[in-house]
Amino acid sequence: MSLRYRAIPWTAVLLALAAAYPLIPALDDQLMRLTGLPIGGRMPKLFIYAILALGLNVVVGYTGLLHLGIGAFFGIGAYITGILTVPAYPFHYSLGTYEFLASLALATLGAATLSVVLSAPVLRLRGDYLALVTLGFGEVVRFALRNLPEITAGTKGLNPVPPPGFPFPAEWNWGGDYRFFYFLTLGILAIVLWLLWNLERSRLGRAWVAIREDELAATCMGVNSAKLKLLAFALGAGLAGLAGCLYAHKQGGTADPDQYGFNTSILALLCLILGGIGNRKGVLLGVLLVVGFDEILSPIMDSYIQRSLGQAGPEYLRFSGWRLAVFGLALILVMRFRPEGILPARRGV
Amino acid sequence: MHTLLAAGDASGWQSFLQYCQGGLTVGALFALIALGYTMVYGIIELINFAHGDLFMLGTFMAITVLSVLGINTATAAATGTGLLLAAVALMLVIVPVFCAGLNWTVDRAVYRPLRNAPKLAPLVSAIGVSFFFMNLGLFWNAGVYEAGRPVPAASPRAFPDLVSSANLFPDDLGFRLTGKDALVLAVTIPIMIGLTLFVKYTALGKAMRATAQNPTAARLMGINVDRVIGATFVIGGALGGVASVVYALYINTISYQVGFQMGLYAFTAAVLGGIGNIPGAVLGGLVIGLVRSLGSAYVGETWTSALVFAVLILILVFRPSGLLGARTREKV
Amino acid sequence: MRFRWLYVLLFGASAIPFAAGCSGCGSAKGDPNTIKIVSSLPRTGSAKAQTDTIVNGIKMAFDEAGNKVEQFKIEYEDLDDATAADGKWNADRETANAEQAVKDPDVMIFIGPYNSGAAKFSMPILNRASLLMISPACTAIGLTHEPGDPGEPGIYRPTGKVNFTRVVPADDIQGPVGADFAKELGVKTVYILDDTEVYGKGIANVFKERALEIGLKPVGKQESLDYKQSDFRTLMARIKRDHHPDMIYYGGTSQTGAGQVAKDMVAEGLGDKILMVPDGCYEAAFIQAAGRDIFKTLQCYVTFGGMPPDQLTGKGKEFVDRYVAKYKVQPEGYAIYGYESGKVALEAIKRVGKKDRAAITEACLGIKDFDGAIGKWSFNENGDTTATTLSVSKVDGPTGDFKFVKLLEKKK
Repeated sequence: MSLRYRAIPWTAVLLALAAAYPLIPALDDQLMRLTGLPIGGRMPKLFIYAILALGLNVVVGYTGLLHLGIGAFFGIGAYITGILTVPAYPFHYSLGTYEFLASLALATLGAATLSVVLSAPVLRLRGDYLALVTLGFGEVVRFALRNLPEITAGTKGLNPVPPPGFPFPAEWNWGGDYRFFYFLTLGILAIVLWLLWNLERSRLGRAWVAIREDELAATCMGVNSAKLKLLAFALGAGLAGLAGCLYAHKQGGTADPDQYGFNTSILALLCLILGGIGNRKGVLLGVLLVVGFDEILSPIMDSYIQRSLGQAGPEYLRFSGWRLAVFGLALILVMRFRPEGILPARRGV
Repeated sequence: MHTLLAAGDASGWQSFLQYCQGGLTVGALFALIALGYTMVYGIIELINFAHGDLFMLGTFMAITVLSVLGINTATAAATGTGLLLAAVALMLVIVPVFCAGLNWTVDRAVYRPLRNAPKLAPLVSAIGVSFFFMNLGLFWNAGVYEAGRPVPAASPRAFPDLVSSANLFPDDLGFRLTGKDALVLAVTIPIMIGLTLFVKYTALGKAMRATAQNPTAARLMGINVDRVIGATFVIGGALGGVASVVYALYINTISYQVGFQMGLYAFTAAVLGGIGNIPGAVLGGLVIGLVRSLGSAYVGETWTSALVFAVLILILVFRPSGLLGARTREKV
Repeated sequence: MRFRWLYVLLFGASAIPFAAGCSGCGSAKGDPNTIKIVSSLPRTGSAKAQTDTIVNGIKMAFDEAGNKVEQFKIEYEDLDDATAADGKWNADRETANAEQAVKDPDVMIFIGPYNSGAAKFSMPILNRASLLMISPACTAIGLTHEPGDPGEPGIYRPTGKVNFTRVVPADDIQGPVGADFAKELGVKTVYILDDTEVYGKGIANVFKERALEIGLKPVGKQESLDYKQSDFRTLMARIKRDHHPDMIYYGGTSQTGAGQVAKDMVAEGLGDKILMVPDGCYEAAFIQAAGRDIFKTLQCYVTFGGMPPDQLTGKGKEFVDRYVAKYKVQPEGYAIYGYESGKVALEAIKRVGKKDRAAITEACLGIKDFDGAIGKWSFNENGDTTATTLSVSKVDGPTGDFKFVKLLEKKK
């Protein structure tokens, strides 16, 4: 039984299903009529958060380092994208239609580089101390984004980020049809998953797991733990930066810095913990549960309650008002009864 | 930086002293909350993320006590001195008991079953508890009206101004110390002294120190470790409760989000002083208060929080054991 | 790699719509006789009391028309652009609301947003869909005309056409009249603070410009507050010691710490001075956050781009009477603008008589001499209202409410 379950490549099936969704004619319109919500339009957000959560998973899941500031790198990716593409900066004109590819590459590399620079001095810290330092970094970055209006436009955010150009034809209507962003983000998510799948089974992936399980033993076996940890930080932050770049394109701007604070970091962590730390499938499930709760379930429920009441009732009669309690209880219960998440990572010898 | 340049003359120094006074007063509050963190960490190595939100619920409990007594922002001024003192005293009894009870319950229900789990598990649970508390705070005011209008959830709400903001010194002296400042110092200093003596000389205090040092050895010595841990949560919670009352009287705002920021400041204070170290937490709180106040005065209001976090990072990187903490080797 | 074919299939499938160029996508048709109007306002956090009355105003406008214009049935949905975690509007939610409105073929009009900062995010999205926006409360200048930030307002109009309208006067009127009024009060020096947001910083800047023009001296460096801080006492202590201004102007809202600013002024011995705040604080939540008791000593003036509910005459007064009869509570300042937005929305649909977003937008911009609850006014070519009545009120401690002081007019 379990063998057969394992034999099915669930991730691929999930991705195939997701890819099929917009291809079924009128499905999204029907769901829109049914729920009042453009579900297809909200899915890219889920895919983007999935990339972010997978990035965090490299640090927390593979290497076992608790990181509470991933939101900052998400933000750095978004702001690099903003700087490269908004008309207020000269790059927009010099890069022309290549700005999408350039921002994708530079957001990823920039976030990764910054992560290496910031985490190199704190590598020797362990456990909760490291968690706090990352939390502190996250907040400092958020304040830097807020308080340097000359570069980041402060709380106004950098906008407008134009729709992606090359390699896509210029006539594509990115704002008008949800499917463009849907397939773009899904495609990149699939590539990220494929990369991680290969990475997990590589020498590097096994070395990371060795560090997570027993750093001392791993070091004794000749694993250079400092270098590997730095690599994990770089890859995690790079993926977060990539997600941030896509997010800025999707939103048409960087939004304000508060979008990249502790709340986002903890949201990504929540996806990991609920779904299953260290397990790609688990992370995807976690994103579906957590981000899906915010983006899809809550609006549907709120709209339903509003229609039944005939008006927007008091706050405590709103589904979304209880989100913190739901997430909080979920965390407590999962830690108590299934500490490795709903889909735990396989731990083979 | 203009003010710093002016620091050479007398009024510059006076200003500096004034900002220090403000910083130390708030710092004393941070210290009170930091004690809750440091005691729990010292004993079970758990960063009790929910402690800041426990403090937040304390402030809500305080305003509930007041409204039961019929004191609100409209009637506060007309309230007699006798009732006022009784109200403050009552808050200082009920709120700490409430916070202590809540903290103990959470430990019993959430953290205790995870004592032998990996270290991450209780930390993540604490984040969960913190979320849950925040949601409680969010809806605490449901159905409350002020001046004929409902108080929206998630809205900051004024706490009745019960303590005078008038200067206790003559104004031309150039130094302000208000009734509020005096209240903070009058409550926090005796408590900190009391706590230090308690931990040092009572049987329970000794048991706590023993458990912190080595739980297994403590258990072998006949100490009921679970009871000691429970007592730590009770004391930490009660201190948080006292801090809530004093904070509400001093800052005069309650909001369901205050827990996160105050909690983080207090935790920074605890780490700064050397986590697990009681005098360290007090020292750390005062230093954080000073950093915040002087940062606002000489660097700029917008960078205040960033400065505190920068201090947290620097301390963790260069002196992870804190100002007063002893360097310990990682147990392998 | 037993399942390589699955991956190949997957990538193949994703390529189909790209190859097809996706012609004729998103051509869903709704119900031909239903027009949906959505509003996007901060329905969570301290603005809720204010937006409750705006939503009530919008609903009253629709109810009075029998929820029907010509052959169309009017449906209304009240969307929230705030989250509890922020306690105020959130860019993510505002974008999602705008996308939802665009996607729904029945939605013809988008009422909102409440915050100018939020408008920056929804405007380009709705502009591409030519969906009409009527804001009952956004007052930042750059949303409709210069001088705002570089590129404004063009960057919000990718199609080049105007789709954003507002029924309230912009801050380039409100900021300066506030400064004029401060001078009338005998204020000589003012310390200016802001909350870093689009609205707050914007209005603080125009206030400052006007103050310099009329000889009202701004002292010290304009500070931007980190409004998530629990208190600003050091700042207030510093202002008292170093600058001793007659007045503090805070460009901010009750969601961005205005209540705490008022409180800390009193706590640090500035209680005998004046505090002036813009219309973002013209709501009960501001007094609730500051606490009524501090207004015994502190004089606090609030400017507002319109008339307070209890000073309205004619149709406006009729609205307030009907509102009180229906909801048993006095409306807040912006309720009537919600009502007016609803009325204008219906008028635009009526003029076009068909379900066509672009036509409705155009018709709305063409509305002239509209005889509404706030008087007779028109939209100009930018989508701004020609109404320029402003007022200033004072916070009255004992009643915990705003007390009308006087009407303000724009001076040349």
